[in-house]
Order: sequence, then structure tokens, then C-alpha cells
Amino acid sequence: MRIVIAEDDALLREGLALLLRAEGLDVVATAGDPAELLAAVAEHAPDTAIVDVRMPPTHTNEGIVAAVEARRLQPGLAVLVLSAYVEEAFATELLANGSAGLGYLLKERVGRVEEFLDALHRVASGGTAIDPEVVAQLFARTRSDSRLDRLSPREREVLAAMAEGLGNSAIAARLFVTEGAVHKHIRSIFAKLDLAPTDLADRRVTAVLHYLEDARLRA
Amino acid sequence: MDTHTAGADLVVTRPPAQRRAGIAGRTVDAIEQLVGGFGTAVLALVALLWVVVCAAACVVGVGFWMLPTALRAVRLVADRERSRLSQIGPVVLGPAPLPHGLRDALRDSSVRRELAWLPCGATLGLALGAIALTLPLNAARDATFALWWMAVPEELRQPSFSGWVVETWPGAIAVTLAGFAWVAVAVGLEPPMARLQAWPGRRLLGPRPGTDLALRVAELTATRAGALDAHAAELRRIERSLHDGTQNRIVAVSVLLGAAQRALLRDPAAAGPLLERAQDAAEQALVELRAVARSILPAVLEDRTLGDALSGLAATSPVPCRLDIADIGRCAASVEATAYFVVAEALTNVVRHSGARSSVVTVRRDDDRLEVTVHDDGTGGAAERAAGERDRDGAGGGSGLAGIRRRVQAHDGTFTLTSPVGGPTTLEVTLPCGS
Repeated sequence: MRIVIAEDDALLREGLALLLRAEGLDVVATAGDPAELLAAVAEHAPDTAIVDVRMPPTHTNEGIVAAVEARRLQPGLAVLVLSAYVEEAFATELLANGSAGLGYLLKERVGRVEEFLDALHRVASGGTAIDPEVVAQLFARTRSDSRLDRLSPREREVLAAMAEGLGNSAIAARLFVTEGAVHKHIRSIFAKLDLAPTDLADRRVTAVLHYLEDARLRA
Repeated sequence: MDTHTAGADLVVTRPPAQRRAGIAGRTVDAIEQLVGGFGTAVLALVALLWVVVCAAACVVGVGFWMLPTALRAVRLVADRERSRLSQIGPVVLGPAPLPHGLRDALRDSSVRRELAWLPCGATLGLALGAIALTLPLNAARDATFALWWMAVPEELRQPSFSGWVVETWPGAIAVTLAGFAWVAVAVGLEPPMARLQAWPGRRLLGPRPGTDLALRVAELTATRAGALDAHAAELRRIERSLHDGTQNRIVAVSVLLGAAQRALLRDPAAAGPLLERAQDAAEQALVELRAVARSILPAVLEDRTLGDALSGLAATSPVPCRLDIADIGRCAASVEATAYFVVAEALTNVVRHSGARSSVVTVRRDDDRLEVTVHDDGTGGAAERAAGERDRDGAGGGSGLAGIRRRVQAHDGTFTLTSPVGGPTTLEVTLPCGS
């Protein structure tokens, strides 16, 4: 996997590169601002970009703007966005045009190396990684008498894991159940929420996020 | 406090101070007011003499240096009169603090009105006060004349305001009757005299009808908005330094620890350097956290003086900074915090933009004003910019200056920046101490 890292904090940028290289990943370039990121993408044609949201000059959303531009330059480029804080409104905006090859995680998740690498691989292979914090915010904002109430506690856990972008086997591993059990839960959830069942991870994430977003808007 | 507006005038009244009831009560009230006014008038006379002396001394030059003290003395006496008038009737609102330079002060309309009031207040106040004191005393003396005239030596048997020596009972009774007439005159005259004595002050010491107050309200509204803007910008700055500085350091710690953990599984020897770097990052995080906390409000201001807090700033400034601070006592906490902020912001600008080799921070207390001056020998050319324009480091020097101005104005202070291209740069701030 060929990776470009865009992060304005030098220490963090080098730390991240060091971590990924130690894991045998190919960090082809690092960038300190959006212009460097675009130049690196043009030069190295990486598979994946890891991008900090807040970068110079204004430290607001330069990272997102640059990521969108980089995807325009190189369609199919997977982008994992890292941020000092997450906002579900921002996530739904980011994923408005599909969630394939996109990730949105809190910066600090990088420290949990195994999970971070999972998320990175998922995004690089066209999947999705949404921070649990975003999913929690979506759940917290849905109205109490929505259809979500029909879900059992276990089904809610499965739904949250799906929203994060986890595949069936990852969900099974996280909840210590068999994949068959996960499959059964998912069918039940889709039936209760009137969603068309699908096993394609990214479609599933989009459907679930849209559902949660609608539930929030109806609230 | 009851506030109501009548046209452009703003009238503020307090619940009336305990007023005595009845004719006698009103008279006693009036006498009390006249005596109080007499006291202010004596002070006004002293201030007037001082103003005259200073004005005369202007001929030989030293007066220009003395005149500000006279203006402050006038302001003190005027404030005393304002608070006295506010006690006995509608509140007389004070003006904005004295402008700092002599020229500005003399151009200030409230200062001019105070100077106009001074001779009226002094003469009218003294004259009416003196009459107010002698009239009732003499009235009482004459009204009781029949009771004591026989008991005193002959040369003292005189009614007030005359040289006539009373020798007979009919004469004594006539004096006594005249005394009652005097009492009636005193009762009738004292209240209008009290009003007359207060008149120049009410006329000249309050805000000029309409315009003056409207300006002051506009100024207060603007400075309050400025203060809120400065506050919001400050919160944004803190949020940025926490997210982009401290948090990044801690994330780096976490990343390096994660890497070390993975290294332990593969090649334990490689974990050592990673742990060391993680510790470095953790220490940097602590340094940054301390800097952020100190920039919010230095803990040292809580239990030590402004001087202590500023010497901490001067000591940690990368551009050598000399602190010259006189014994300034304590000011209101918000004033000290603002003074600290001004110096912190100014020194940050010196380091980032001036290219200076050294800087000097001077702090003086001039009566009720705190004067802070930050001087550097850099390249100058500093100018204020709107808060929206930021440079690469997220807190442009210009927007920092705007922040200083807004904070200072919220305290009714003054802000002057002298920074010709080529340097040097001097930033001067004065703040009313508020204590």
C-alpha cells in the first residue's frame, strides 16, 4: 500500500510515518500543507492519503478541501481524514456522495495501532471507517420514540458497528459472537428499520448513516 | 434605581435619601445640604486657586507640567460634588475618565464644563453656605433675646445685624418679635438657597443634555462589543492552541507508544528509542499546556503581584526583555489581567514580527491610572489588522494589536502605537485602576 501523509504538526507527521513504516507499509511522501499534499499525490500516485483536517493557512477545513481536490485529481484515491475532534454533521457532509474509500477518525485512534491499521486497510480497499464517536453522536440525537427503539440492545451494538464501517467478521470479533449470529442480527435490524438488506459494506454504511441522519432530522 | 428617559435626556433618580418631614424638617435638610455644599465650595476654592496658579505658571512653561495635576484636583472636587448632589436629588452622572494628554483633556467638553463650574461653585457655594449658617443662628439668638438679655453684660445686649444696644423691656420684646420674623425668613429661604447652591453643579457637572450622553452610550456600546469580540477571539485562540498544539503532542505520545508496543512483539531493542521519543513528546505537551494555562490567566496573579507575573513573562521571552516596574500597589483583578495580557501579546509580537534585539516593559502608576509601555528596537512598521486576517501562525501581530485595543477600551483605557517603518516600536496603554 502506497501512502501519503498530510499533517502540519512535524512531530506527529514523523511519528505516524515511523509507525506505518515499521508496520511494513510504504509511506511514499509526507506533506505539511494542502499544496504539498496535492503535489505529492500528482507525483507519487498513492493508493491512500491520510489527511489532517486542520492545516495552514487558516487551520479550519483545509484538509477536507485538499482531500476532495486530491480525489478529483486521482479518482479512486482512498482518503482517511484525521481530526482533533469529530462532528457528525461534518461526517454526513463528507459522506454525502458515497462512503467508498473514505474514513473519518479522531486523531487519537492512531495510538490503538491494530484497530487503526484495520481501519486504514478497510478504507484503502474501498471500505469505510467512521469514528465510534460520530456514531455515538448520531445515536444520541435520534428521537427516543424512533424505530430504533424496536432494536434489542445487541442489535443496537451491531448497528453501531455497521455504521463505523466494520464488516461482518470484524463485528463478530468485536462482539465475541459467530458470523452467523451477526448475519442474523443484521437481517433483523434491516427488517425492523425497513432498509433493503445488503452485505456490501459501503452501501450498508451509507444506508445506516442516512437512516440515523434522517432519524436525527425527524427528531 | 429608577431610570426613565425624557427625550434625549436621561434622568436617573435614587430613592430619596431619608428626608425629614414637615416645615422644620425641610429647613434642617436644607441647612444640612447648604453646609455640605459649603464644604465642597471650600475645596473648589482651593482647586480654583491651584488652577489659577498653574495657568499663570504656563507663562514660564512649568505650568504645562503642573496643569494636569490641577485638572485631576478639579475632577476630584467635581466628583465629590456629583456624589453629594446624587445623595440629595437626581443622580448626576460622571463623565468618562480624564483623557490622558493635556491637550486632549482641555479639549474634552466635560473638563471644560468642570472648569466653568469651578468659580460658580466656589463663590455661590461659599456665600450661600455662610448665609445658611449665620441666618438660623442669629434668628435663634434674637427669638430667645427676651430670655437672656438681662443676664449678659450690657455691651452684648444687641440684636443681630445692628449696633443698637437694648436697654428696656419693650426693646427686648421688639427684638424677640423681630427674631421670630427672622426664623420665618430662615424657614422660607433655606430650601430655595439650597437649590440655588446646587444649581451650577446640576447644570454643569452632569452630562450635557442629549449629545454628550448619547455619545457616551455609543462609546460604551462599541467598547462592550469590542470586549466581547476580544473575548471570543481569545477563546478561539485557546481552542486552537489546545487542539493544534497540546492535543497533537499527546496524540504523538499515543502514536509512539503504540509503535513501541508493536515493536516489543517484533524487536524489543527497537522499542527503547520509541519510548524515549514518546517521553519527549509528553514533556512537550506539558510545556505547551503550561503555556496555554498561563496565557488564559497567570496563576501567579492570584496570590502575587502584577510585577511578579510580568517578570515571569519577561524572563521567558526569547527576545531579551528588561522589566522596569515601580511600586504600583494592587489594581482591580480585571485590570491586572488586562495589563498582563497586553504585555504578553506585545512581547509575542516583538518575538514574531519585530526582529528586535531587546525590549523594555515599563509599568507605572499615575494616581488612579496604570501606565504600561512596551518598547522594542526592532524594525517597526507594526499596524493593526482586523481579527479576521490571520497569518500563517494563526495569530497575526496585527490582529493581536486589535485585541489589545479592544481589551483596553473596554476598561475605558487608552492605547497608542508608535511604530514608524525602520523602528523603533512603542506601545503605550493606560488603564484606570478601578480600585
